[in-house]
Amino acid sequence: MADRKSGVKRSSVDGDDAQDSKRMRMGNGDANVKMNPYLAHHYENGQSDSKSPLDVLERHNTTALQAVKVEDEDVNPWTGRPHTQQYFKILQTRRDLPVQKQRQEFLDMYHSSQILVFVGETGSGKTTQIPQYVLFDERPDLNGKLIACTQPRRVAAMSVAQRVANELDVELGEEVGYSIRFENRTGPKTMLKYMTDGQLLRESMHDNDMSRYSCIILDEAHERTLATDILMALLKQIAARRKDLKIIVMSATLDAQKFQSYFYDAPLLAVPGRTHPVEIFYTPEPERDYVEASVRTVLQIHATEPEGDILLFLTGEEEIEDACRRISLEVDDMIRESDAGPMKVYPLYGTLPPAQQQRIFDKAPEPLRKGGRPGRKCIVATNIAETSLTIDGIVYVVDPGFSKQKIYNPRTRVESLLVSPISKASAQQRAGRAGRTRPGKCFRLYTEAAFKKELIEQTYPEILRSNLANTVLELKKLGVQDLVHFDLMDPPAPETMMRALEELNYLACLDDDGELTRLGGLASEFPLDPALAVMLISSPEFYCSNEMLSITALLSVPQIWVRPNNARKRADEMKQQFAHPDGDHLTLLNAYHAYKGAEQQGEDMKQWCHEHFLSLRHLASADNVRAQLKRIMETHGIELVSTPFQDKNYYTNIRRALLAGFFMQVAMRESSNSKVYKTVKDDQLVMIHPSTVLTTPYDWVVYNEFVLTTKQYVRTVTNIRPEWLLEIAPVYYDLDTFEKGEIKSALTRIVDKVRRRQAMKGGSS
Amino acid sequence: MKPYSEAIARLNSSDAKTPGGTSLDNGDSDSEDDYMKMSFTDTPTTAPELSYKQSLRKRREAEARGRVKSKAELAAEERERREAALSKPFYSTDTADKTKSGSKGFAMLAKMGFKGGALGPSSHNDKADVGGSGSGTTQPQRLVEPIRLEIKDGREGIGLESERKRKLREASEASAHAVKKAKVGENEYRDRIRQEREDARLERQVIAAQKVAEGLYEDHTKQAAHAAHAARSSAPTRTEQTAGPPMPSTTPLLSSIPVVFRGLVRTREMEERDRRMRLSLAEGLGAEEEDEDDKMALGKGSQLQQYIDDDLDLDKDDQELDDFNVLPPGERLNKLLIYMRTTFNYCFWCKSKFDDDKMGDCPGISEEDHD
Repeated sequence: MADRKSGVKRSSVDGDDAQDSKRMRMGNGDANVKMNPYLAHHYENGQSDSKSPLDVLERHNTTALQAVKVEDEDVNPWTGRPHTQQYFKILQTRRDLPVQKQRQEFLDMYHSSQILVFVGETGSGKTTQIPQYVLFDERPDLNGKLIACTQPRRVAAMSVAQRVANELDVELGEEVGYSIRFENRTGPKTMLKYMTDGQLLRESMHDNDMSRYSCIILDEAHERTLATDILMALLKQIAARRKDLKIIVMSATLDAQKFQSYFYDAPLLAVPGRTHPVEIFYTPEPERDYVEASVRTVLQIHATEPEGDILLFLTGEEEIEDACRRISLEVDDMIRESDAGPMKVYPLYGTLPPAQQQRIFDKAPEPLRKGGRPGRKCIVATNIAETSLTIDGIVYVVDPGFSKQKIYNPRTRVESLLVSPISKASAQQRAGRAGRTRPGKCFRLYTEAAFKKELIEQTYPEILRSNLANTVLELKKLGVQDLVHFDLMDPPAPETMMRALEELNYLACLDDDGELTRLGGLASEFPLDPALAVMLISSPEFYCSNEMLSITALLSVPQIWVRPNNARKRADEMKQQFAHPDGDHLTLLNAYHAYKGAEQQGEDMKQWCHEHFLSLRHLASADNVRAQLKRIMETHGIELVSTPFQDKNYYTNIRRALLAGFFMQVAMRESSNSKVYKTVKDDQLVMIHPSTVLTTPYDWVVYNEFVLTTKQYVRTVTNIRPEWLLEIAPVYYDLDTFEKGEIKSALTRIVDKVRRRQAMKGGSS
Repeated sequence: MKPYSEAIARLNSSDAKTPGGTSLDNGDSDSEDDYMKMSFTDTPTTAPELSYKQSLRKRREAEARGRVKSKAELAAEERERREAALSKPFYSTDTADKTKSGSKGFAMLAKMGFKGGALGPSSHNDKADVGGSGSGTTQPQRLVEPIRLEIKDGREGIGLESERKRKLREASEASAHAVKKAKVGENEYRDRIRQEREDARLERQVIAAQKVAEGLYEDHTKQAAHAAHAARSSAPTRTEQTAGPPMPSTTPLLSSIPVVFRGLVRTREMEERDRRMRLSLAEGLGAEEEDEDDKMALGKGSQLQQYIDDDLDLDKDDQELDDFNVLPPGERLNKLLIYMRTTFNYCFWCKSKFDDDKMGDCPGISEEDHD
């Protein structure tokens, strides 16, 4: 109740009826009046307020017609600068978007309801247009509150922000900006902010009411990412105490009813996408090899179907590259033998460099000769192409029915990406991709019976498939006390929650009552997994916080090692140059130090990285992450120290420091001549991933991740001494908590040894 | 005080909570015990182990431990352990049970009000006051258990696995069915053999009965002829052949012979004809030399030939006989028995002819009655 009152009070101060006082207030607050983002245009124009085209727009009472008129003006209302030619060109295409026809309807609903569910299929223009409609209605220039639009993916947040900046004829990072983890491109003038859902969640930890925002748009809510689900639950609570906050939940699929009922039967507005009918074909028999069947189907389409591009869905990089190679080879044969048209094959997956990702938008190749058979392009993609990316010209979709999905099981504590059958909803979404330009065809590489019987209705939301340690920490920081009755759209399994609480308790982030400790509070400041955060926070104790900072950054980016298929041996040799006999963590650090050294010596880094089979992109990104984390450490007074490199304990300290966060990720060798390890407490058999630099089979190792494919591996592994475990994590390694077995016996022997040694020391002194 | 050192302090303090030395001692002896027991639970502990036996055992044990497992063994063990871990909840609701790693997590969640079941707002309370129909009621299922982990290896398409399983199931069902059938067949075979034997026996009895019936019939015909001759009275012609005594005729047309033993006559006649035909064929080689007198002398009357060929008309379809012949032998025998009893007051089993239709001391119609 107290919260609510203060919220009301704040909004009355910021209310639009007090414009003048507010302007004064802001003016006083800012050292430089000219820097005030929402008044800047007044000064630039050197004119009085009344001349602004925006004046016709009365906050929360605008019409589509008024807004359109303002958009048609010669002068940009937000910057005061004249509109460019490009602006009007884009404006034309914007006016053709399906969503434009319902602008008035949208505004009416927006005015009459606090929460609104908006359904627009891909291509309706919702992601770019709706935030702009809101912008013209919210008038952030009046109250200084921002409009946020969340995206599940970093790339989407960046690219959409760029697009909308173009549409509004403003600089990216000024009026329109984006904020993603480790990268913030917003400024004091920013009114409309695209951001990842995770980023908004992080922000809200310091602003539990999200008071910076007047409207929050959750885009692509149908994807049900972990952060979107948490945000929905939070916004549901915030909406009750902040009546001035508007919420729009946008979904691309028609199962919006679930969103409606979740948000107290919020009104729904649906905008049809520009879709054409898609004919669906099933195979008469199940396929023996879906990759092979995919290749065959693509070639068949190329041979027999009329002009139109092909989109093939596969699960991962390796599979996609393999399929691309096979298709290209076969097409060459077809051209030689049967005068087929040319076909360009492009891969598309998350870890592909952006420049190569862009190639999917290239035009299909021209016929080989005049009057020859038309060329086409074939895109072989992961499920990135399912919802988030719109590629025009796709007429044929080949869907083998699989995707790689993250899955977490608290019973073995393993989070893995596993190839799994997609859901019916996903299959429909994929088929829909064929009908963007004209009527299309979708070839499903499974039988109709299998579609009906084997596919689940909806993909499980991420919250049911994730380790929630980080989420629980965030929720605790957000002040959510009762995790049992927290109103999530799909609450996770109790065991998942228990595991998260337990892990956080062992990490000393939560006490036995589930209350946030100071360490926990501090850990939540870092945009990292709790184990990494705790490791970083504890690192000064081990005199190596600089090094741990580097290692943390390196573990937060994709693999820096490049190992091209045609140069594996050479790549491995180069990696050996950085190898540290004690483990992969230390090897990472060596590579980073070499990289920084080369940079300082003014080497051509692109060349250097190429020669050393390292990814410049990921190293640069690690460098950036490191800088961000360093700032957070400095803010919170965490010392940055190093052991002198000459000291014999330089690497030992680092290995010990790793355990401060990762003591729950330790494995012991099964027996003296075995390559098999057993994970501590979970009792799972694992092997060390072949990518390791370790050559000595050490008895005890700490690992960064447990990889489950068809085999169980631990990856990024470093040798440790079991005595350290008892010393650094005595609670977790309390022998009373161990079940009988080899690990308990081994640890018991260690305890004995340590005690004997201490006794001898005590005796001699 | 710096937060991180606080963290370490926390760790240390929580360590202090557990009694240090004593607990370690306990753990110590426990696990030594455990270490010994581990692979020896089935070794008899009554007699003290001899030292050489112990060393032998230890060596075997070390060998077993030291043996490098094959990839397949490893994979199987890996999978087994994973399945074992995945198949049961990791936590223990007994918060005092420290060895169960999950009891801590359970205790923490229980402190927040967890009482088993799924998480999420209870559908009744706390929703009504916030506004309208809450989400609680609209969620069809909430997870009580984590989502299962399915590991797919290989590139089989969707549906192949279940198709294979379906086929396997069908095949196993079919084979199960076949086994069942075979078992049934065993009994059936016995029954069938028994039936076949019985039928053969009955068939023989049918033929025997037919011969008796024919004999009776012929006797009766002769008597009737005598009687007719004597009485010179014409008895009314009976057309019913099976029921009543047939009209004695000097020219016994095959169709006039009662159907019950007509087959016997017919078979005999056919054999006779075949024999004669063979004979005539053989004779035909020198047929030209034979004249009417020879034929007469040899007893090969053309008249007889004619009679057999024309009147018996062995090749003509005899629907009545066919109908009779398809009956099971038991029934045919029964019909014969009835025929003989009713027509001639003769019992096949007593092998005696009675004077009137009361059949004297004959116990009954069937064979069993005469046992």
